[in-house]
Amino acid sequence: MKYITTIGEREFLVEILSDDQIIVNGKLYHVDFQDISEQPVYSLLLEGKSIEAYVYPVEKTWQVLLNGRFYPALVEDERERSLRVAAGSQVQGRGEYQLKAPMPGLVVTVAVVEGQQVEKGEVLVVLESMKMQNELKSPRSGTVSRVRVASGDRVEQQETLLTVS
Amino acid sequence: MFNKVLIANRGEIAVRVIRACRELGLQTVAVYSDADRQALHVRYADEAYRLGPAPSRDSYLRADRILDIAKQSGAGAIHPGYGFLAERADFAQMCVDEGLAFIGPKPSSITAMGDKAVARATVSAAGVPVVPGTEGEGALSDDELLALAPQIGFPLLIKATAGGGGKGMREVRSLEEMPELVQSARREAEAAFGDGNVYLEKLVEGARHIEIQILADTFGNTIYLGERECSLQRRHQKLLEEAPSPFVDGDDELRQRMGAVAVRAAQSVGYVNAGTIEFLVDKDKNYYFLEMNTRLQVEHPVTEVVTGIDIVKEQIRIARGRPLRYTQDDVRLNGWAIECRINAEDPYNNFLPSIGRITHISTPTGPGVRVDSGIYPGFEISPYYDSLISKLITWGETRAEAILRMRRALEEFILVGVRTNIPFHQNLMDSHRFMGGQFDTRFIEQRFSMEAADINKDDHAEIAAILATLVAHRQTQRAANIIQRGARDTSNWKWLGRWERLQR
Repeated sequence: MKYITTIGEREFLVEILSDDQIIVNGKLYHVDFQDISEQPVYSLLLEGKSIEAYVYPVEKTWQVLLNGRFYPALVEDERERSLRVAAGSQVQGRGEYQLKAPMPGLVVTVAVVEGQQVEKGEVLVVLESMKMQNELKSPRSGTVSRVRVASGDRVEQQETLLTVS
Repeated sequence: MFNKVLIANRGEIAVRVIRACRELGLQTVAVYSDADRQALHVRYADEAYRLGPAPSRDSYLRADRILDIAKQSGAGAIHPGYGFLAERADFAQMCVDEGLAFIGPKPSSITAMGDKAVARATVSAAGVPVVPGTEGEGALSDDELLALAPQIGFPLLIKATAGGGGKGMREVRSLEEMPELVQSARREAEAAFGDGNVYLEKLVEGARHIEIQILADTFGNTIYLGERECSLQRRHQKLLEEAPSPFVDGDDELRQRMGAVAVRAAQSVGYVNAGTIEFLVDKDKNYYFLEMNTRLQVEHPVTEVVTGIDIVKEQIRIARGRPLRYTQDDVRLNGWAIECRINAEDPYNNFLPSIGRITHISTPTGPGVRVDSGIYPGFEISPYYDSLISKLITWGETRAEAILRMRRALEEFILVGVRTNIPFHQNLMDSHRFMGGQFDTRFIEQRFSMEAADINKDDHAEIAAILATLVAHRQTQRAANIIQRGARDTSNWKWLGRWERLQR
């Protein structure tokens, strides 16, 4: 079974030959791969090197926690990959960015109005939660197309606060 | 004398106090909000009573309910922990009026030190230098603050009169940006303390935040337990503390002078029990009194580890009317201790608090490691309380050993389900300036970046890719197996649907 696994900008072609042999970008490795009890903890012996990691799904990707660092990995087989590439340019394009509340809280300030131009890194909303005032910033430049909340509103987690397009 | 203690707090500190009570053979009473019914402090205590709904003002700030529960359960003393009611003189007074021992200072000392103007005047009179500012001028209007600012000089800080923990604090570089910053400081102070009053203070640049732990009994004995280095802060929130301070270490004369001044400051308000005098120390080792925290500190464990003195147990003994078991000469610093505050905050996303269920924890153990924590697998991090979930403390014979141990312990510390600042601490341990002890209170904000630190790290992307692929492959195989089996009574699609839902 062949997979294309993407981490950040890098792609790895991983072919699983059997339970104990894999080929990564053309290089053969002997592996022993075990999951530890019922937890998302995995032990990998890679050519004798002992590696422990936490791997769990988050939306469409796998989060790998390895040596204290997170690696979000997208694992696709060849078919999924070609489907995504075919659809790619449209999905990747300049769609809308919906600012969602990362946690329940109280909207302290909405720093922008509809139609306003914003720069990347500009504060959009100040949300109070866990006794802190948290500044939610725009991940990119654009125009605020819709504001759904006002200061003083209580919001739930994942509630859409405003849209930048 | 009391034999049962009510702990008017939650989280790791409530657990910490319960542990001390257990060791002293005292009964414990926990209180909890609706969000904390399953919290560790409720499970560890001998008795537990509900306070009210999750928000603090309906639960942990309800002094009346807490006193009712104390009476109902027959508790003879109340330990306030830190935060919540710990520095509220009115609450301490209510305890005294009800005939309960308040495990902390006298209400009058809390008042004296809580009113920063009185505190500054008192310690100034005792010969302690203070930072220039408008503390003690009362509640000033915006116009008055703007008029006074140039006299103090820029840069300066706006601080909340009722404040603490960096809330309602703003830094001002010029008169032009000041009006807006005063407004936001007042707003935050109002939300956090119900009091929007603020004052101005000169910003000491290149300053270190160094504090002295003191203990005082009811017989007039007051001692200091050395210093703690608390300069590593972000937005005035401490992130890492150590004892001793690399800046003071090797200068016993400075330590003794600061210790003696701290003792004098405490005595000037008739202080009893554990307290902390915070100083700002500039690069020429001039120190300025900042404030006194009239309670147990979050970072007390580093002092416990290097002195061998259990501060919480001493607090309880003092409250039971016992004399201190130590004289100043008994206090010896042994080795080095570092504490990392583990917060549910994402260091890769502007330290945004992270909430959710902790699905898995692997806690570091082994030589020289201590973990004070209030969480367990399955525990829900709620948005109602602050984001501190655990404290990791390591001891070493030398600072270098403590750092290497901390590195090792951070590697072992795995928390899945919420984002934590563990990667931040790992990067900090690798920072040359941290290793060299060359940092001030601005270091984290001005000279430290996660991105820059990550660049120097070993990249294990290929191994991560292999792991992710093997896990994904295993899942695909399992799903395929379920579909292939035909002899099931329900549809395979239904089985697959259930299985997938389980995996979410």
